[in-house]
Amino acid sequence: MTPPKPHRVLLDRVSGYADEAAAYMRRRRVARRPFARLYYEGGRADDHAADSVLGGELFVAAGRLIEVAGKRTKP
Amino acid sequence: MRHGPGTPAGILAEMADGETSDTITGESASTALAYLREMSPDLRGGAILDRNGDVLAASSHPDRWREDASALLGVADRAGAEAVEQVHVATEQGEVFALRHAGLAAVAVTDRFALASLLLFDMRSVLRDLAAGGDGRAGR
Repeated sequence: MTPPKPHRVLLDRVSGYADEAAAYMRRRRVARRPFARLYYEGGRADDHAADSVLGGELFVAAGRLIEVAGKRTKP
Repeated sequence: MRHGPGTPAGILAEMADGETSDTITGESASTALAYLREMSPDLRGGAILDRNGDVLAASSHPDRWREDASALLGVADRAGAEAVEQVHVATEQGEVFALRHAGLAAVAVTDRFALASLLLFDMRSVLRDLAAGGDGRAGR
């Protein structure tokens, strides 16, 4: 059996890195997706999408609090 | 006296669990908030409010914290038939947590990807201790 041509090894490696990077970006997009979640007594939780009326209002109210909190001062 | 659901007092008055000590001072609330900041390195700022919606302690601008925290809890309460216990809103700019416990409310703003369950646990323990007449540092 003949060994693979050197350029094929390089291409496979680059493709592997690209696949890893794409998967990382996909995971990051999912993790960074904004959400608004409300919890009630007894453990019930409701998600509200950002494009819903109530979700939009929650994001606006949260944005105001983030604004008043300001940036974190590094110790 | 019954407070309407749209008023800050009404929003913060509907506390389901526990009773609050009548002797919560601004000083003990400030100590509790400082302790919360100490325990949560991701915390940018926060406030502790009493059952009337008044700010007992805030990291800055108490009037704005009062107004904006009441607005958030007011919107959250409109989502369902019962009063909300916890709020967690994650945005690209940061995350907001609000928790009601024992007649008090705590609101915290953190960096993205803060450890939500730990922060909420800390907020709850601080409020529980404050409500019992301590300064929020019972777990220390």
